Parts: sequence; structure tokens; C-alpha cells
Amino acid sequence: MIRTIIQISLLRLWHNKAELMLTFLVPILFFSIFAWIFGSRGSGATPQLKIAICDEVGSDVSRATIEILEKSQSLRVHQPVKTVDRLGKQTGLGRAAAESLVRRGMISAAIVFAISEKDALGAEMQIEVMADSFDQVAGQVVSALVQKSTMTAQAQLATLKSPSPISQMERQSGSAIELASAIDPRTGNGVESLRSDIDMRSVERLSHSMFQPPTIAMIDVMGQKKANPVIAMYAAGIAVMFLLFSATTASGSLLDERENSTLERLLCSRMTMDHLLMGKWCYLVLVGILQTTLMFVVGAVFFGLNLVDHIDGFVVMTFVTASAAASFALMLAAICRTRTQLGWVSTIIILSMSALGGSMVPRYLMSETIQRFGQFTFNAWALDGYNKVFWRELPIVELRSELTVLVICAFVFIVIARLFAARWDRT
Amino acid sequence: MRARNRETAPESTQSHSNIALKLRDVERSFGSNQALRGISLEVSAGERMALLGPNGAGKTSLVRAICGRLRIDHGQIELFGESIYRPKVLDQLGVVPQDLAIYGDLTTQENLSVFGRLHGLSGRALKERVEWALTWIGLEDRRSQLTKTFSGGMKRRVNIACGVLHTPRVLLLDEPTVGVDPQSRHRIFEMLDELRSIGTTIILTTHHLDEAQTQCDRIVIIDHGQVVADGTLIDLIEQTTGSQRKVFLNIEGEMTVSIPNLEWDDANECFVAEMDEPADELPHLLHRIRASGGNVIDLEMHQPNLHDAFIHLTGHGLRE
Repeated sequence: MIRTIIQISLLRLWHNKAELMLTFLVPILFFSIFAWIFGSRGSGATPQLKIAICDEVGSDVSRATIEILEKSQSLRVHQPVKTVDRLGKQTGLGRAAAESLVRRGMISAAIVFAISEKDALGAEMQIEVMADSFDQVAGQVVSALVQKSTMTAQAQLATLKSPSPISQMERQSGSAIELASAIDPRTGNGVESLRSDIDMRSVERLSHSMFQPPTIAMIDVMGQKKANPVIAMYAAGIAVMFLLFSATTASGSLLDERENSTLERLLCSRMTMDHLLMGKWCYLVLVGILQTTLMFVVGAVFFGLNLVDHIDGFVVMTFVTASAAASFALMLAAICRTRTQLGWVSTIIILSMSALGGSMVPRYLMSETIQRFGQFTFNAWALDGYNKVFWRELPIVELRSELTVLVICAFVFIVIARLFAARWDRT
Repeated sequence: MRARNRETAPESTQSHSNIALKLRDVERSFGSNQALRGISLEVSAGERMALLGPNGAGKTSLVRAICGRLRIDHGQIELFGESIYRPKVLDQLGVVPQDLAIYGDLTTQENLSVFGRLHGLSGRALKERVEWALTWIGLEDRRSQLTKTFSGGMKRRVNIACGVLHTPRVLLLDEPTVGVDPQSRHRIFEMLDELRSIGTTIILTTHHLDEAQTQCDRIVIIDHGQVVADGTLIDLIEQTTGSQRKVFLNIEGEMTVSIPNLEWDDANECFVAEMDEPADELPHLLHRIRASGGNVIDLEMHQPNLHDAFIHLTGHGLRE
């Protein structure tokens, strides 16, 4: 009996291709996608961090450090670098422009070599790393690279000036003692004491300038003012993914109607396929807007998301995203033959798009190749738009590329849906 | 009444005003499969017509063509003298699909209301028609319940009501009683009687030949995309098997003399005789059998019916 039940179950699984795919192929597919996203990081495809450098000091150390940073495999330096040449003239990118690039998400961080008052040990340079905490890794990586590069630069400069730092120290301390003896021969026993004093100060000063890590100030240009910055980052990702899931589920009503002849009955009335699709599209847009709004309102009330100050950008992005999601859902429903098929097709596509588009994992963690591939997903554009609104706090005009892409998506998807739905029209 | 194949179709003598539905030389092919082969048919206003045919005969294609859902390759379809492809002409047609084409997750009233709206009803007229329909289908007290909780018969009634809310002059029902119990079937035909009493022309497809025989004025049988028979039940029987009664006899003993009109029927493994007037002819036959040495131990008389005519026309072969 048990064997018969197993046999029945296996036969049913074999005949149900959708279940068969969901059981065996979909897990492999998703494993492959995630392996592709994260596995490629260890193979040298780690994304280069885009940075800008502003050198307000123009010292040998800052120039040498910039030179090292520019050669770093991990960084791609935005050109031109602001620097002060030997004549004191400033050229290249300014601090404000660099900060603006960070704010707009054009670069991951900006490094500023700033002039500061001499500290107790005589250092005159302060290094600032202006980062966007949206990318929680980039700031730390850049900071570490700057530290390493500065120390390397200092060491190189010291080597150029004197083959051995120790002999340089000896020379400096020896000169001081000779000078002291020449000035006042009465120093007598005191010379040894002075020699000892000068030795200690020289070593301290040189070791500070050569081996002490430079002071690096980390400045979060985006997240500092936000009450709960993590929510602003993830609200959009979750919203877009569930917008797609709920829209495709709802669009399945089209296939239900076709399967139970309700569609036939609807089209026997005054209704046309255009009316039907447009009605369903409007419904899906409306529900999508309500769903997203509800989620962001909950985020605002319970998790400190600043919805009120970004309401204009939110309204525009939500309308356009919901429109594109509705068109996408109807396109899938029109292409699929059955509700079951729609179920597994939409699951595969939405999860894949969400993985590649940044709804599940921030895109900055992906390699450049995958990030470029992610640009072909619906999610990436929607997320970029929401991030510009809530994270970067940019005006609506800055959303033009995201809005354009999403509007084109909405239009193209609904046209495709209409073309496929033509098979249900009068035959 | 007046259905015929294209090759033999005489000109209609009826005026347009009395003809609810007219099909002329309707053809439609799907690739190499010719689903409709020049069907011509006229249905008078107020008539109740059954459309019969084995599976794959072309009934569904014909019904879809009449609804305007299937584009025809050739021919004309008119409702009350106007092409169905003209605007609003199909408003005069009500369609009840075979499947339960209602929303299970809407209540009875909501279903009626949305389908009424789709057919152009609104405001007070819609409200009145919904109330009428709830009474008509006997579900006033279930108006607020989701239709997915209903029995098959109740769903069928809602399904029919959704097709008649806009008071169509012609109602097309595709197997309206499939899968319902005799009580519900009886109620459905009572409902159709009410519609007929107000002049609605009713065309129904069915595989229940008894329904067609008892509930319809006229029967059209189609097969292989053609009308193969058209007329009243008596017409059809006359055209096919003839109206002679068949008498099946089980006879013991060996008859020494052959009796005219009495033949062995291999299929039924008994003797069979055909007669026009059984009351006169049967006693005479029994006497002759006895005289020839036979002893009738059982007999059964069979009056030709629609089933015989249908099988006669469409054969015993299994279809799709």
C-alpha cells in the first residue's frame, strides 16, 4: 500500500511539470544566481570603488599619497583631482563638488587632504573621508586604503631624502649637538644631556611622521541626519519586490476568468479586451499604490522613516513604479497559459529580478558585471529612484532617468500584454 | 424553421421582423479542419430551439460565432435583420456559457450587479433587474452569500440570471443543465418558460436528448459542421427512423413457417417487427407466431424517439 502511494505521488509529480520544475530546477536556478552574484567576488571581479580626491594641502605627502591611491586596483579615481600645485594654484575638483558627487551617488567616497593647525607633533594635514553610508563597506575600505597609502607615501619620501631613517636621525641629532657645543662650550657635561634630549625628540618626531597612522576623519554625508537610515534603504527594496508579487498574483484573475469562461462572457458583453486590460491595469496600479503607501506609512510611524519631507518624490516614484509593476504583471498573465504556469514563472522571474536588482542584497555588494546586468531589471531602476528620494534627498528633477525607464517599461509591458491577449479576442 | 444545408437551401419565406436569428452560409476553418461548413439557419422570434450534435460536431464553434466571439470566414449572421458585427446589435443577445462563468468570491447580488453593468444597465433599472433576477432564480434570501458556497444547481441559476439581466430578445444557453439534479433542472426549465412567455427566443445546446425532446419546439442536429436535420421531433423521426413502432419479441420453440415482417435482430438477440398500428397489427402477429409453433414469452414495444433519430443521423462511432 505504501509503495502504491509512493508510486502515485511520483507519477503525479512526473506529469505535473510545473511542480517538477519548482522542486528540482528552481532551487538550482536560485543557487546559481546567488553563486554568480557572490561567488564572482572572490575571483577578482570585486567592484572598483569610485572615489574623488581633493587635495587642499598640496604637500609632498599628499601628492605622493594621491599617486599611490590612483594606482590602487581597488579604486577608480574621479578625474580631475583637485590639488594645489607648487605655485600655490588650485586646480581640479573642489571639496563641495566632491561632496555633491557623493550625495548624488556618483561616487562611493571623497578623500579630502585638508589643512589643519599643527598638532603637538607638528603635523599640518588632516585627511577626511566623505562617504555615503548607503554603501556600508565603501567608507571603511577607502579609509583603510588612505591610511595605508599615506604611510607608504611617508616612508617613500623619507627614503628619498635619506637612504636610512636611522642615519637621518643620527645626522639630525649629531648636528644639533655640534651646534650646541659651538654656541656654548661651557655646556660641558650638559652636552651629553642635550644629545640625549635631542635624540629622543628627533626619534619621536620622525617616527610620528613616518610610522604613526595618519588621522582620518570619517564623515557620513548622507546618513548622519537620518533618524533611522537603515529603514530608508530597505523600505524600497521590500516594497518593490512585494509590489511585483502582489501584482502578478492579482493579474492571475485574467487566467481564472479565461479558464472558467468568465472571460468569454465578459467579452460577449459591451466590454472589449482593451477595456478589460485597462480596467485591470488601473486596479493593479491602485492596489500597488495603496500597498506601497501603507508600507511606507508604517515605516514612518513605527520606524522613523521620514515620509513627510519626501512626499513629492514618494508620490511620483510610487505611481510610476506601481504602473510599471501592473503592466509587468499583466504581461506575464497574458503570456502564460494557466494560473499554475503564471505562479511558477512569476516566482522565478521576480525572485531573479529582486536578487539582481538589489531588493534582496544591496547592489554595491555585487561585482560590476552583475551590477551592469542588474540594470536590465525593473527593480534596480525603481530602487535607485526611491534611494534618490529617501536616501540622497534629491529633487524630483534628479529622478528623470529612473522615471523615464519605468514609464517606458510600463508602456512596453502593457503593449506586449495586449498583443498576447489578442489570442483571447475574437478568433 | 428553416435550417438546411447550403446546397439545398431554399429562399426563406418569412419576413425579417419575425426572424430573430439568421445564419447564411456560415463557414469557418481552423487550419485544415473545417469546423463550420456553410451553415444556414433561421430561428423565429419566440421560438425555443435545441441545437444538438455529438462532441466535435461544431456546436461550440457555431455558438461562439453567433456571439460574435468567433470570426467567420464566410457567410452572414444577423440578429433581427442586422449584422451582429454592427454596434450594439449584440445587446439583444444573452449568453449563458456552459461553465459557471460567475465570480465565486462575489455574492449573488454583486454578481448580478456587475454583469448587469457590463450589459449597459445602471441606476434604478439595474437595481430593479437585480431584484427581479433574485426572485426569478429563487435566491432572494441568499443575495448576500458568496456564490462559491452554493450548490451546483444554485450556481447554475445565478449563471443563467447573469445572462438575462439586460432582457435580451434572444438567449443562447450552452448546456444550461449540465451536472444538476432533476429538481434544479426542472426549476431551470420553469425559468426558461417564464422567459419564453415574454417572447424571448431561446436557443440551447444540450446532450440531454430528453430535454430537447420535451422542452423545445424545434430541434437542429449538426454534425461535421453541417446541419444534418432540422424540424420538430416528429419531423426528425419521420426524416430518419420513420414513425413505425418496433416490437421486440422473445420466442421459445422452433417456428416452422417464416412470418412476414418478423426478423431476427442480432444486436438485441431477439425477433423484431415494425408496425404502424400496433393495436391492429400486434394480435395478428402473435397469432401467426403461435400458429407456426413459436411461443412468445416476452415482448417490448419501442416508440422511435429523438435518440434513435440522433443515432441514425450521427452514427454509433465515438467522437472526440
